[in-house]
Amino acid sequence: MSDVPTHAAVRDAVFSIVAKQGKVEVSALTPASTLKDFGIASLTAIEILFEIEEKFDIDFPEQGADLDSGTLEQLVDAVAAAVAKKHAGAG
Amino acid sequence: MPAADRDVVVTGMGAVSAFGTGAGALWDGLAAGRCAIGPLRHPRAAELRIPIAAQVPDGFDPAGCIDERRLAMLDRTSQFALVAAAEAMAQSGLVSGASFAPERAAAIIGTGIGGETTHDEQCRRLYAEGATRVHPLTIVRLMTNAAASQVSIVHGIKGPSFVVASACASSNHAISQAVQLIRGGLADVVVTGGTEACLTYGSLRAWEAMRVAADDTCRPFSANRKGLVLGEGAAVFTLESRAHAAARGATVLARIAGFGMTADAGDIVAPDVDGAARAMLLAMADAGLAPGDVDYINAHGTGTPVNDAAETRAIRRSFGAGASRLAVSSTKSAHGHALGAAGALELVAVVGAMRHGIVPATLNLAVPDLECDLDYVAEGPRPMKVRAALSNSFAFGGLNAVLAVTAD
Repeated sequence: MSDVPTHAAVRDAVFSIVAKQGKVEVSALTPASTLKDFGIASLTAIEILFEIEEKFDIDFPEQGADLDSGTLEQLVDAVAAAVAKKHAGAG
Repeated sequence: MPAADRDVVVTGMGAVSAFGTGAGALWDGLAAGRCAIGPLRHPRAAELRIPIAAQVPDGFDPAGCIDERRLAMLDRTSQFALVAAAEAMAQSGLVSGASFAPERAAAIIGTGIGGETTHDEQCRRLYAEGATRVHPLTIVRLMTNAAASQVSIVHGIKGPSFVVASACASSNHAISQAVQLIRGGLADVVVTGGTEACLTYGSLRAWEAMRVAADDTCRPFSANRKGLVLGEGAAVFTLESRAHAAARGATVLARIAGFGMTADAGDIVAPDVDGAARAMLLAMADAGLAPGDVDYINAHGTGTPVNDAAETRAIRRSFGAGASRLAVSSTKSAHGHALGAAGALELVAVVGAMRHGIVPATLNLAVPDLECDLDYVAEGPRPMKVRAALSNSFAFGGLNAVLAVTAD
């Protein structure tokens, strides 16, 4: 079993996925950014969620993430919590 | 406006829905304000994030009206269509070669996906079970046109027959084509409607991934709405030219007075107020109706946050100040979102409203939304005379089709 990724590692991975899918520079992203700030459409948003789920092997609940108005910080926290929960369950 | 004798009238209807078999079962459920959404019944339901659906009851038994040899050729989608068509044909009294000329009849059926159950089952054999053979009737079961083909075969229909696919607007697009065939003199009788049966493991997983499905229930126009609830079923109608119906003394249930079809040419999934409003205006213009003539709109009303707000704005744009006097309801809150069958199931609701003087309610509308400020008949089924109605279908892909229906 691999170690639980650090919060910083989760953040870097999430930012990198958002930047790639949203066609924006990673340097333009801040914890307070929302997907709306970059004009990222809803279909792109669900692609971002899919890629995050695949990357960390986690499931977001159907209604789990508020991608339109939520900030990237909230998204990173939600991913980190899901990853921690998964590792706790596996341990 | 066509010549009066090419007017298109409804002389029979049939349905299979989450309320059971029969247009009567569907209408009785709607008129009573019942909700047919329940826990998802699927062997792998426990693994799925979508916990609810509006499914045809387990007691559905097509063997009553489809012979055993034919049944082996049918995907669930075609079973629904044939059971609904048999009911509509029986009500209309139409018999090929006796009350209509086979060459002057058409079968136009809408479906979003077609033979999904067959596809899912046979793919599982190949990819999960490692089989190298699939069932020999796989192609005839799953081909998207199967439902129209089976209706034409069973009912001796030898004129234009095909399936129309436009996702959630498939039924309304199909019925619009049927109206055109009759108006244009290409057919006297058209068996038309829509069918869908796609609550398979693969399809449910695909809806999950899209994140538009609610996990509690369908709450159209309510501020706490969380998305759509998938349904399944079919509704099929016999349409005839008024002259053909009159010549054989058929009972007229309603009149399909017009239709409007538009494309958003914009986002692949986000609804577009302009495309929806134009479809409603075109349907009214085609039917020769003024906004003040329309009493009821059966809304697309999926219960997704974006659809219901956009549809409300589109209704306001189409009807202006008169929008506030309309009764608008989403019967998807009762029979679920049956995708390619949606418009057909909803036409049963519209015809029922006209014939019985009861407008079905929008169920589960508990919390008013500032962006949804019309009269959604939230208090329960409403006794009310309906002279003319619109039935809205706005599909993923930005394809819109609206029917205008009058009592006669």
